[in-house]
Order: sequence, then C-alpha cells, then structure tokens
Amino acid sequence: MNPVYPITIHKEPRLGRSSLVIGWNEDMGNLGRGVTDYLNRKLKVEEFAEIEPEDFFPLGGVAVEDNVARFPDSKFYVCPEHEVVVFQSNSPGAEWHKFLDAVLYVAEHYCRVRELYILGTMLSFDAHTTPRQLLTVANSAEMKEVLGRYDLARDMDYQTQSGGRPTLNSFLLWIAKGRSIPGVSLWVPIPFYLAAMEDAQAQKKVLGFLNERMDLRIELTDLDQEIREQNERLARVRSRFPQIDDYINRLESNLMLSEEENGELIKKIEDFLREGG
Amino acid sequence: MGIRLYQEPHLRNPILVASWPGIGNIGIIAVDALRGVLEAEEFGEIEPEDFFYPKRVLIKKGVLEYLEFPNSKFYFKRTEAKDMIFFAGEEQPTERGRMYAEGKKAYQMANLVLDVAEKFKCRRVYTSGAAVALTHHTTKPRVWAVPNSESLVPEISGYKNTVLMSDIEGRGGHGNITGLNGLLLGVAKKRGFEGICLMGEIPVYLQGLPLSYPRASKSVLEVLSQSLKIQVKLDKLDELDREVERSIEEFYQQIPLEIRGQLDRLRHVAYAQPTEPGPITEEEQKKIMEDVEKFFKKRGGGG
Repeated sequence: MNPVYPITIHKEPRLGRSSLVIGWNEDMGNLGRGVTDYLNRKLKVEEFAEIEPEDFFPLGGVAVEDNVARFPDSKFYVCPEHEVVVFQSNSPGAEWHKFLDAVLYVAEHYCRVRELYILGTMLSFDAHTTPRQLLTVANSAEMKEVLGRYDLARDMDYQTQSGGRPTLNSFLLWIAKGRSIPGVSLWVPIPFYLAAMEDAQAQKKVLGFLNERMDLRIELTDLDQEIREQNERLARVRSRFPQIDDYINRLESNLMLSEEENGELIKKIEDFLREGG
Repeated sequence: MGIRLYQEPHLRNPILVASWPGIGNIGIIAVDALRGVLEAEEFGEIEPEDFFYPKRVLIKKGVLEYLEFPNSKFYFKRTEAKDMIFFAGEEQPTERGRMYAEGKKAYQMANLVLDVAEKFKCRRVYTSGAAVALTHHTTKPRVWAVPNSESLVPEISGYKNTVLMSDIEGRGGHGNITGLNGLLLGVAKKRGFEGICLMGEIPVYLQGLPLSYPRASKSVLEVLSQSLKIQVKLDKLDELDREVERSIEEFYQQIPLEIRGQLDRLRHVAYAQPTEPGPITEEEQKKIMEDVEKFFKKRGGGG
C-alpha cells in the first residue's frame, strides 16, 4: 500500500494522456454503476488499483442487496487502447477530502489524466416518456467551451439552499480545479418513480456523450433494446392499472401529483418491474 | 492540513478565548459578541478541507464558481489590560453524523488551536458552552465554571454568578463537557496550559430547540469580563435576547398545561447561594425531567 494515500496499485498502467470517468454505486436509476459497468464490459478494461476502505466506510458489518452481501468497493479500471480510466466506487461516508484526494492522486500519478467526467443524477418530476436531458457543470470556462460542441445543457445556475450541502461531485470537481485538472460533472434528471430502478434511457444519454467525446466507437444498440423492453413493461403497468396511467398522464401534462399519489406510483412501478413486469 | 496565518501580530502573553457552536450556541455567541465589541482583527485560520464537508456551492452559467467550507478563524486584540486571541469555529468537525466532535479529527483541531496559542506565548485558555439545567427562561442564567487545574478553583470561586461543578445540586463535582468546548480544556491541560470552561445555563426544555440562547451568552460574557478585567458593552446581546425571548414564549405556550405548570414552579427557584437547593425537592425535579422528556419524545426528535 502507498505510504501516504490508502491505495493499492495492482499493476501500473501504461498511458499517454487519459480521460477519467467516475461513477458512484448509489446513484438514482443505477446511473453511476450502470454506466461504468457498461464501459468496463465494452472496453474490456483491466482493474489496476483500488482505494482501501477502512478510513472511509463504516465497516461494522456488510449490507445485503438483492440477496447478496455487499462490501464497499473503490476500484480503478483501465482501457489502454482508448486511454480511458474508469473509477467505480461507493461514495465515502467519512474523510471525504482524503478520499477524493486519493482518487486524484491515482489520476495524476498513474494515469496522466487530462480530463475528468463525474456522473451524477437528480430527481425529476417529469414522466419517463420525456427524453432524458444531460446537464453539465464544468470547473473552468475553458472546459465549458469544449462542451459547446455537444448536445448538452451548459448554463445551469445553482446555489446550495439553507440546510443543504453540496454534492460529493461538486467537492471533487472543486479539488480537481485546485489541481488544474479540467473536469465536468454530468447530471441526468431521473423520473422519481425510476429512482430505485434501472433507467436505461439515462444511461444511454450519458454513454452517448462519452462515446462521442472520447471517440470510443461503442455500439449502443443493446441499450436501445433495453430501453424498448423497459418502455414496454411500463406500458403494460399503465394498461393494467388505470390509476397509474392517470398519474403518468398527469405528469406528461406537467401536472404535479400529491405526495400520496407519488408514493403509490413509486410502489406500483417498483413492484411491477421487480416482479419481472 | 494546517494553520494559515495572514500576519503574525506582536502580542504580550495573550489569553485565548475559543468556542464552537453547541446547545443554544451560548459559547459561540459570547465569543462573537466579545470580539465584535473589541473589534478584534482576523489574522489566521485552520485550513478546512480535511475537517469539514463543504457547506455551500455556487454554480453560475454551468461553471463551478465557488465551494465554501465552514470557517475556523483566529482574531487578535491588544488591550491595556490583556492581549487576546479569539478562535471561532463555525462547525465542530464531526465524524459519521455525530452531533459533537470526537475522535481523531477533534483532537487534531484542538491541538492546532493550541499550536497557535503556544506560538504567541499564550498560557491561559478559555472555552465556553452550555450547561443544561433545571431552570426557567425568565431567570438569570448562572455560569458553571470548570477549570483544568485545582489551582484555579480559588480564582473561580471569586467570580460573581458562577458555580463550580461541586456546587451544582446532585452532581457531586462530576459531569461531562461534550465536544470541542470540553476537549480543548483537556488537551490544554495535557500541554500545560491553564484552562477554564464557562458554561451558561440553558433551561432543560429549551435544549432541543433550534434557537440561540443569548441570555446565557450574556452571563458567560459578564464572567469572562471579570476574569479578564475588561469592561464591555453588551447592548447587542440584550437586543438579540429580546428577539429570541418572543420565540421562546411562543414555544412555551405550546407546552401542555400540565407540564407547563411544573415548569412554572422553576420561575421561583432563586439560587441566592450556590449550594442552596431551592424550593423544589429532588423527587419533583425528577418528575419535571420525566415530563419534559416525554413531551419532546411525543413531539418527535426533541424540537
């Protein structure tokens, strides 16, 4: 293990200047894990480093998800051919600065990272039939300029509200700025009733951008198939439950639902999709 | 992780007054008021990144403009009576969702504050906070004083409106000072500093409210001025007290009549002597505490 940073390097990658994609496992719509898993699979990456968990995660036991015991993971993968590095991790619960510093240490010292892409989601009250948007926050005016070539929303204004806190992505973007690493956080609004499920549309939106930006030449047709299947399942739930159809119709007409109606919609959709739709 | 000093003022054996937020923000309001009245000058800070999660982000037209962290700042003031260093922490460096600082981070921060004190040849440290007590909000809060050495007890005994832990009913000289306001006192002792923690009383039924309690801050400041042999005008604190008083009264009227009846009896508790038990028996005190606890549990989360 590195004497300063709690990282283990399994194998030093050979890279010129790389791009780093960062995804968190806990994202809504499974965006972070979904996109990084997809990249890892398609780019045939190799794991080369990890951040040791003990300083950053409560290790009083293990969480069980979908019948399987989970343990916090913070791993780096590399695809030398495309000069892409993927960092997939649980988001830390403590020592955030030390953790993010360790991520950027690996990025600078082992990957010669020239650009950083951080994946994130936000809750949306739009229906799933509304096309997904991709919003961006850059850590420099130059980086924002670069993004001008793509179909992105680039003019977000935001200030933390009273009682709130900035996201981990903003924290990371800020530290990267301090180290002069150009970076951008990518935000996809996820329909609230898909927050705990897969949102293939959202994943495709991000992957489409990364594909173009990094010239990865990945065929995304399998994602189209997933999107079609999910849309069919959602159409089935609408036809089987007129009340759910009514709720989604109202969302499609930009009408708000009551808290109770939101809850009912979430539960019905989640139950239906989990049962295999 | 470290200290950043913008200047190194020449100070003659200064004392350090440090505080962090806590119950009723009693200590931090007292320290802020004192340094405000004295027009103390900022001269340094503890770098925040390793201690805190950021508190605010500003994004303008899609570009991350600014990320703001909680402040931990040093100020100084030269006066004829004493030179002073103030330290005000905007937040306590908590870990894993706890309310007060504890563990490695808290210990590191306490040591950094004392590193600055030591650099300027300071040998005495004051901290301040809240003492949750069975008192009424219409009575003048006392100040509980805890020194980090027995040699300071005679001095503290001479302060007005101040009690030692051994004077507090039913405590037998024991107690805890939670968070950095307490920890700094201990670390100061370890490093050979004299230290005194001054805690203003806050009524037990106000401890869970998201309100400041400037009345107790004023009591703390009165004692601190005595100890430092300085005179300060406390008009601003009086003003703040009047504002908060209205919210407290509104809250008080929401307490069920039966419990309020019990609490009203505290209005008449006057501690002429520190050891005087007052007109409420121990049994009655226990009953009041139980009723207040039940009320807050029912309200959900104590405030």
